[in-house]
Amino acid sequence: MRSPAKLVTLALVLAASTTAMAQWPKYTPAGVPLGPDGKLDVNAPAPRTADGKPDLSGVWEISRDPNAPPPAPRGNAGGAAGRGTAAPARGGGGAGGGSPFGNIGNSWPGGAPYQPWAADLVKKRMADDSKDNPDAHCLPMGIAQLNAHLYPRKIIQTPKEVVLIYEASGTTVREVYLDGRPLPKKDDVEPWWNGYSVGHWDGDTLVIETTGLMDDGWLDVRGSPLTSAGKITERFRRRTYGLLELEETIDDPKAYTQPFTAKVFYRFSPDTQLIEFVCMDKDAQHYIGGAPAK
Amino acid sequence: MRTFKMVFVGAAAAAALLAGPSRAEAHHAFAAEFDARQPITLRGTVTRVEWINPHTWIHIDVKDPDGNVVEWMIEGGTPNTLLRAGVDRKSLPAGTEIVVDGYRAKSGLNRANGRDITLADGRKLSLGSSLKGSAGGDTPTDKK
Repeated sequence: MRSPAKLVTLALVLAASTTAMAQWPKYTPAGVPLGPDGKLDVNAPAPRTADGKPDLSGVWEISRDPNAPPPAPRGNAGGAAGRGTAAPARGGGGAGGGSPFGNIGNSWPGGAPYQPWAADLVKKRMADDSKDNPDAHCLPMGIAQLNAHLYPRKIIQTPKEVVLIYEASGTTVREVYLDGRPLPKKDDVEPWWNGYSVGHWDGDTLVIETTGLMDDGWLDVRGSPLTSAGKITERFRRRTYGLLELEETIDDPKAYTQPFTAKVFYRFSPDTQLIEFVCMDKDAQHYIGGAPAK
Repeated sequence: MRTFKMVFVGAAAAAALLAGPSRAEAHHAFAAEFDARQPITLRGTVTRVEWINPHTWIHIDVKDPDGNVVEWMIEGGTPNTLLRAGVDRKSLPAGTEIVVDGYRAKSGLNRANGRDITLADGRKLSLGSSLKGSAGGDTPTDKK
């Protein structure tokens, strides 16, 4: 057993992702560009595969928008899904505040353009403290939450298929076919949590289109709904060796008055490995929900 | 249950209270289970640690003022988060004396969200918990 002193020291550096741990060994693969300081040269050019495409392969962790101003002080984050109080007709807290994990409309002017019923539903879910979020019950969190989740994801890229492995949500695997097959029409595939994904390259941008989504999805923790009428289009672009950008467009006319886009940024984590995540919700009834009594 | 030794602290805890739940819970609001207005301090002995996702649970035996031993369950962060921070299933072996600072469950059951643990020698151990969603970056403020 390690000494308490060491344990505490390690715990106190929670914010540092580079902590060297005995339990889960870090290993930096060969070929990663390093700067004079021995750390990843994040500004090195994005690598390319043998067929000339940008190579998105590797482990990616969520990052701030590198071009955004420093975050506002805690407790006043505009996009935060504040408990029960925002109750917006539209998304509320749009244009930059918070994270798309909490609010898919965080970077959309005015917030996500909810249909009235969807706005009402989000209001209720926020008042319920998001207790019915599928992820809170060990059910799949869906593409949008996966893409914005704090846990790392790994991209494995081949010319004809891209595989995304997300540590979150029970170690989710998504297959994206790049072999030229058409995107199925919405009603032609069995609707499921993460749908059916087909991808293609638009210049240096990997475009992933997904249909076959089921009803009752949650796009974020506040509870922005996703229905079976929805289509998700993800546009991934590796700007540099260290930076991956995602523009994610939600086109779900049943729940939203117009398509809207969320932005997510990732930093390359060459020495991170995914850890198995088996979600055991042994006590789903422990959530209370509703506004706390005064 | 008012018989347990609970320490409701003043200004310092109020500040911690603001800092705690305003940082994010991963998948539901902190308030879905715990009450930020009920900070609690529990002194007890670890009996076992459930090393499971999405939350670890630390079981401790707490003596009430009458000397009765009562079990409390303390929710911590996910094993994956804690593992990346250097805490593993062996970090709090049974028998370890700890003081837990956290927030009571709304259910009234003997449960609390653990903000941090103070070891016998006074040093503190952050539990991750709702204070931290993952290694490697700030937690998005998904809920306050």
